[in-house]
Amino acid sequence: MKTYEIVIGLETHIQLNTTSKIFCSCKADSWGAEPNTNICPVCSGLPGVLPVLNVETVRKGALLAAAMHAEINPVSYFDRKNYFYPDLPKGYQITQFDEPIGKGGYMDLQMPDGTSRRVRIHKLHLEEDAGKTKIEDGERLVDFNRCGVPLVEMVTEPDLRSAEEAAQYLTQLRQLLRWIGVSEADMERGHLRCDANVSIREAGSTVLNTKTEIKNVNSIDAVRLAIIEESKRQIEAVEAGQRIQSYTLDWDADTGTLRKMRSKETEADYRYFREPDLLPVVLSAEEIAEVIASLPELPIERRARFIQDYQLSAYDADILTSERSLSDYYEESVRLFGGAAKVVSNWMMNDLSRLMNDTGKSAAELRLRPIDLAEIIRMVEGGKINPATGKSLLGKVEAGGGKPAEIVEREGLGLIADEDALSGQIAAIIAESPAEVESFRAGKESLLGWFVGQVMRRTGGKADPKRTRELLLEQLKR
Amino acid sequence: MSSIRLSARQIAQKVRAGELSALNVLEDHLRQIKAVDGVPGSLQNASLDPAEEGKVHAFIEVSTGLARQQAEKVQTMVQRGEDPGPLAGVPVSIKDIFCVKGTTTTAASRILYNFRPPYTATTVERLEKAGALIIGKTNLDEFTYGSSSESSAFQPHPNNPWNTQRVTGGSSGGSAASVAAREAPLSLGTDTGGSIRQPAAFCGVVGLKPSYGRTSRYGLIAFGSSLDCPGPLARDVSDAALMLQVLAGLDPKDSTSALAPVPDYLAALQEGVRGMRIGLSRDYDHITYPDTLTGEMSVQSIQPEMNSAVRDVAEVLARLGAEIVEDVPMPNARHGIPTYFVISRVEAASNLHRFDGVKYGYRTSAPVRGLSELYRATRAEGFGLQPKLRILMGMYVSAAQHSAQYYQKALRVRSMIRSDFELAFDPQGVYRLDALLTPTTPTTAFRRSEVMGDSVLMQYSDQMTVAGNHAGIPAVSIPAGLDPLGLPIGVQFFGMDFREDLILRAAYAYEQATENADWRRAIPQALRESEVSA
Amino acid sequence: MTPDSITPEMFAKLVTLAALELTPEESEYLRTELNHQLAAVKELSEIQLAEDVQPSLHGLDCRGSAPRADTWNPFPNPQEILDQAPDSEGGYFRVPDFSRGEVSQ
Repeated sequence: MKTYEIVIGLETHIQLNTTSKIFCSCKADSWGAEPNTNICPVCSGLPGVLPVLNVETVRKGALLAAAMHAEINPVSYFDRKNYFYPDLPKGYQITQFDEPIGKGGYMDLQMPDGTSRRVRIHKLHLEEDAGKTKIEDGERLVDFNRCGVPLVEMVTEPDLRSAEEAAQYLTQLRQLLRWIGVSEADMERGHLRCDANVSIREAGSTVLNTKTEIKNVNSIDAVRLAIIEESKRQIEAVEAGQRIQSYTLDWDADTGTLRKMRSKETEADYRYFREPDLLPVVLSAEEIAEVIASLPELPIERRARFIQDYQLSAYDADILTSERSLSDYYEESVRLFGGAAKVVSNWMMNDLSRLMNDTGKSAAELRLRPIDLAEIIRMVEGGKINPATGKSLLGKVEAGGGKPAEIVEREGLGLIADEDALSGQIAAIIAESPAEVESFRAGKESLLGWFVGQVMRRTGGKADPKRTRELLLEQLKR
Repeated sequence: MSSIRLSARQIAQKVRAGELSALNVLEDHLRQIKAVDGVPGSLQNASLDPAEEGKVHAFIEVSTGLARQQAEKVQTMVQRGEDPGPLAGVPVSIKDIFCVKGTTTTAASRILYNFRPPYTATTVERLEKAGALIIGKTNLDEFTYGSSSESSAFQPHPNNPWNTQRVTGGSSGGSAASVAAREAPLSLGTDTGGSIRQPAAFCGVVGLKPSYGRTSRYGLIAFGSSLDCPGPLARDVSDAALMLQVLAGLDPKDSTSALAPVPDYLAALQEGVRGMRIGLSRDYDHITYPDTLTGEMSVQSIQPEMNSAVRDVAEVLARLGAEIVEDVPMPNARHGIPTYFVISRVEAASNLHRFDGVKYGYRTSAPVRGLSELYRATRAEGFGLQPKLRILMGMYVSAAQHSAQYYQKALRVRSMIRSDFELAFDPQGVYRLDALLTPTTPTTAFRRSEVMGDSVLMQYSDQMTVAGNHAGIPAVSIPAGLDPLGLPIGVQFFGMDFREDLILRAAYAYEQATENADWRRAIPQALRESEVSA
Repeated sequence: MTPDSITPEMFAKLVTLAALELTPEESEYLRTELNHQLAAVKELSEIQLAEDVQPSLHGLDCRGSAPRADTWNPFPNPQEILDQAPDSEGGYFRVPDFSRGEVSQ
């Protein structure tokens, strides 16, 4: 059998997290709403209505284009895509055809093996979502709540080469969308939907063979599984001497199987033409510059910087750039702590992440701010409190608020480094333990730890271990 | 005296002054409707009393209840000393292509026979706010697709009040007829290729197509979205100006509505035509008509009275101090209809996609095997022949393999049509026109059934008007005499972008100068009987 | 006949795409009229235009209002929209499903 290479392009539909819909002032997100309650004459396509563009969709679309290193189109147009379907109340979808908001661009993927892979973007365009239909007793029930939800459709070039790469693309795209704040990117809620174009070719070949389009692969697992299934099917077909036909396939996540929807050859002519009810979307050079300037440092860039500047491991850098508020939290804490960045990352990777898990909060939502974390770490590092106290302080600040130093003071959590207080305790222990003192003095120096333990027991763990050790040696060797 | 003889200005002035009750105004007009209109257009008027032949049939629905509520509101405001607005107590008929909450809005199509819009068009809302009484919905060509109003699914179609054997023109035929027959002093129409001006000319009233975007399209059931303009029909120029004042202005619900400031149109009328430059064009004294088999174009003359009316109007304006500029070239005017056949059909076909029996209006009651069949049966039964024809034409010329040849080309020819006007109106150019004066129509009102069915000939009724829609510029048609058969003749002034004030000034000057002309004393046939009895 | 003339076969395809169905009489009339209209627009393809002639979308230069601010302003009576439905069920618009073999476009 020959070796085959899989060629994959992904079309993603990204729901923008605006307040209102793209062409009317209904709420953008209808999650949990009763059917047909978040509709108006415009989005339900009543006769006589006209669309009015939501300016925020343009800003978010352009910001996403900038994040993809795409060219932001100074003049883009809306077009009508005409077809009949019950979820499409106007009988046409308002979308962008030949002059979309963003053209070209790329996204660099960080692969798990440490390599990076560049996926070119063909284009990004703004469009309205359609409604939802469900089938019950052979009839279709139609809900228009989702009509008019703003989407960016983003299409990659056929640059992905494996199911794993496709999954990585989606994972990192989801991270990026949240990072730049244009989408909640919750795949379970359909904020990020995906169609995959799959073809195969002999390894080493550069031709693009006939592809099939897999619709409705709406989770990262589904993308991985569907591509594996489909590429396997294509390879078997080609090996059996068959030709691949241009099908549209539907992924059934429940059974993990692909179902043929229709042959693409019969695809309708959508008769695109400029939407006469809308004006061209014009972005001045200043507006475009503003969008680009508002683009935050991207996760992949920040990850590289963390490794370089803070000497983090790739693993730590991945975690600490997985989400923007966490990443900002980290940098702020490092700055306020002023000491080794690695110390802060240890705290965040272990104790803070546990706190976030336990409370279900994101870094941005924590009551414990970077200034508190920095103070706690500083107290531990400076020997003012022991690490266990430091850890418990995280929870105390989060639960009750207040400054860590005040809590330490109020609750008497500070370490006892005072010579008089410690010397008395040590003298008493030496007096009570003649046998151990004798053994120590006879050369069994490992008993020092036992003495330290005794001091800790008597002080409730609050004795400064360093000072205790010094004083013990002083008195034992006397 | 019945208020049906008053102008809109007079009615509003008297109602605001408390000299006339809005309720009485309404009753006068309802009485007139009863006297001259006959049965309203309906889907079920199979056999009609022969007497109905002589009636106007302007209305599909007379909205007595709605108008009465509005009249009561106006009266309450008058009694409280509040200002009910510039159209206080003025009955306005609305072409049944505008969504009006509280009425059935049919577009004269079976497919919307029972549609009750849950919202009101911006233009109608503005009329209501100005104190107008929405007296009813007027008949039209189905979805506005025609130039005679005969293609309505709601029969009988409107008849021309001047001669009920003649058509009203269209598609705002019911609107023009209702104004001519004194059933309402004002009507709200729409003009996509001439649908306000052509019926206004046929029915002897004033019809203004504003600049594209001057009046909001929100709530107007779309035909050609890049061409459609709501506008007033009135019995005189001042009333048209008054109504335009209420309609005009930016609407946040219509992205294509214009930011340009709205001048005081009534005040502008008083400025006269002295020094205005009025153009005449030889490209508007004939039409270029295609052989429908070969596509060969040939020049055909128009009814001679049309050209002589234009000459007469020019002479009057010249006497008033206007400068007449002869031989203004409009070489692309002849492309107006072919270009329109493409652009308007592409937009229409798409705009009709939403009528599928799913959400509103008509749904087939035939048993269907599935949803596609439901679509087909609903649209087959719900649409008349003209919508079907426009859907098919629009789909053909915008198909992927034809779009470049037809649709994309037509959009560029549209630019050329526009450039003719830009050249003529250029203040630094050779012609420096304030207005271009042309006939409104190639003929006066034609006989019923004479053109119906010949879709090409019917479309050429708009040859004189359609260029204004392509160019987006304003144009007003005004009465300028009667032909030997006693049928009204209309002439038209085209103006530059958002300068409705200039063309209204020219129209008003002519109207005032010919105030006492014999032909202005003629009474439409449909009114003679009721006039005698009144 | 012009070269563009629509044959009965092409016409039938167009009718299907338009989600229509026609009686033979309607078909005959509409196809004839369609061919007449195509003859009338034939001259468009013969017009020579300079390269720089741009398409015109609205005739005049449209300058409308600024785009809408992103605020939620709910329609007060969505039920009235649903009330217009020829058939509805439990808050949904109801239609028959596509039958097997029907092409959904």
